[in-house]
Amino acid sequence: MKESDLEERIRTLTRSAPKGKLRVFRDTSQFMNISAGHVLQLSDRFYLVRGDEVEGRFGIDEQPKFWVKKALDLQDGSSKIVKLVFYESFTMHLGDLAVECFRSPRKEGRILEKVRRDPSFMHGITVEDDAGNTVRIVDKILGPCLYNFIHRLDMDHRTYFFTRFPPIFDRLVEAAEGIGRLHDAGEVHGDIRNDHLLIDREHGDYRWIDFDYTYEWAENRFGVDLFGLGNVLLFVMGKGFHTLKDATLSSGASLVPADMSLFFQHRVINLRKLFPYIPQSFQWVLMHFGREAELFYENTGELLADLETCRSDLAYLL
Amino acid sequence: MDHSILIAADPSENALRAVDYVGRVMHCHSNVRITLLNVIKGPSPDILPDEDEREVYVQRKRSEMLAMLEEISRRLTAFGIEGTKMCFKTEVCSENASIAQRILQEHQEGEYDTIVVGRRGMSKKEEFLFGSVSSKVVREARNCTVWVVE
Repeated sequence: MKESDLEERIRTLTRSAPKGKLRVFRDTSQFMNISAGHVLQLSDRFYLVRGDEVEGRFGIDEQPKFWVKKALDLQDGSSKIVKLVFYESFTMHLGDLAVECFRSPRKEGRILEKVRRDPSFMHGITVEDDAGNTVRIVDKILGPCLYNFIHRLDMDHRTYFFTRFPPIFDRLVEAAEGIGRLHDAGEVHGDIRNDHLLIDREHGDYRWIDFDYTYEWAENRFGVDLFGLGNVLLFVMGKGFHTLKDATLSSGASLVPADMSLFFQHRVINLRKLFPYIPQSFQWVLMHFGREAELFYENTGELLADLETCRSDLAYLL
Repeated sequence: MDHSILIAADPSENALRAVDYVGRVMHCHSNVRITLLNVIKGPSPDILPDEDEREVYVQRKRSEMLAMLEEISRRLTAFGIEGTKMCFKTEVCSENASIAQRILQEHQEGEYDTIVVGRRGMSKKEEFLFGSVSSKVVREARNCTVWVVE
C-alpha cells in the first residue's frame, strides 16, 4: 500500500487525518520508539498504532505495557492488540512463594495456533517482522474482565449467590474446561487470574488472555494453573476475596487456621462459614486450596469432575 | 537370586542419604545389582530457544552428573558393595515429561525389584505448585518395592 493510500485508509477508519509524515515500522525490535500514530507493517498487512496497552489490574495503578500496542487493522478496520517481543525474566510471587518466571512470545504464539477455534481463549495470529521477532496480533475482546464484572455487582452475597452466580459459575466451568483442553494439548496458561479472564460481550463467552508466561517447572507442570483456577473460583464463589479481619467483623464467624487459604495467610477459604447456604460440594472443591488440605488437585480433570458435581448441586438448589 | 535396585540419584543431600541407606542395608547382600539413575531436566525451548545452547547445557549437565554418579558409587564401595555390581545412567527428560515418569519408565524397562528415592521435605505449598517426585513414584510404581528415604 502506498503512503497516500495508507493515509486515506486512516482518514476513512478514524475520521481524522494522520498528523505529519507517516512512520511505518517493519522491524519492531525497538518497541519503545513505536507510539500512537505510527503504522506497523506485518506480513503485508498494515496496523495503525493507537497507543500502549495498560495493565488494567483493578483499574488502579495502571502501568503502560510498551511492548503491547493497541492497533487498528487498516484492511478491515478491526481492533487488534499487537504484542511485540519483550524478553524478561522476573520473580513472581504466588502467595508467599517466589517463582522464577520468563516471558515467551514463542509459547504464546504456539498456543494461539492451538486454540484458534477454542471459544475459551483469545484468538489471533503470529507473524514474524522483518527482524524475525515473533509478533502476535490478537483480536481485541470487547467486554470487562471477570474481576471488574464481579466487583460492579452491587448486591449482597445471598442475592448474588441465588441470582447472578449460577450462570456465572456455568461460564466459569466452561472456561476451566478450556484450561483442561490446553493442558491436554501439553500447554500451560501460566498466569491465570481473575483479570485475565474476559467476558466477551458479543457471545458471552469467558475467554482467557495473556499466556506468554513460562517457567522451569519440576514435577507438576499444571500446579501453577491449578493455583490460579483455585483463586478465581474462590473469588467468584465469594463475590470477592474475604480476609480474616473482614469476615470476623461482618459475620462474626469463628474461624480457625484450617479455614484459611494455603497460599494467602489471611484469605478465608472456608466460605461456608461466612455463607452457610453454599453447598457442601463447593466447599469440598475450595478446601483443596486450604491450609490443611491433605489432598491437592494434580490435574484439571480432577477439578473439573468435582465442579460438575457442584453444577448439579446448584441446579438442585435452585 | 539377584536383587536389582534403582536409585534415583542427584547431588542433593536427601538423595545422598538415600544412597547411604542402600549402602548400609544392602552391603551384606552378595547378589545385589544397583543402577544409579540421574534424570536431567532439559531446558525448555520456550526459555532457551537456541537448540545449540540447549544441547550445550545438556552435555555440560550430563558430564557433571556422571561425575556425581561416580562419586556416589565410591560411597557405596565404601560400604562394601563391589563396583562391578553398579552401573550408571543419565537420562534427559523432555519438556512435557516429569522426572518421576522417567524413573518409572526406567523401572518398567529394567524390571527392578526396588526403587529408592530421597525426599526433599517440601512444604505443602511447594508440593502443590511443583509436585513431588517421591510422592508420584510411590503412587504410581507397580510390581516393586519403593523406599523413600528422608
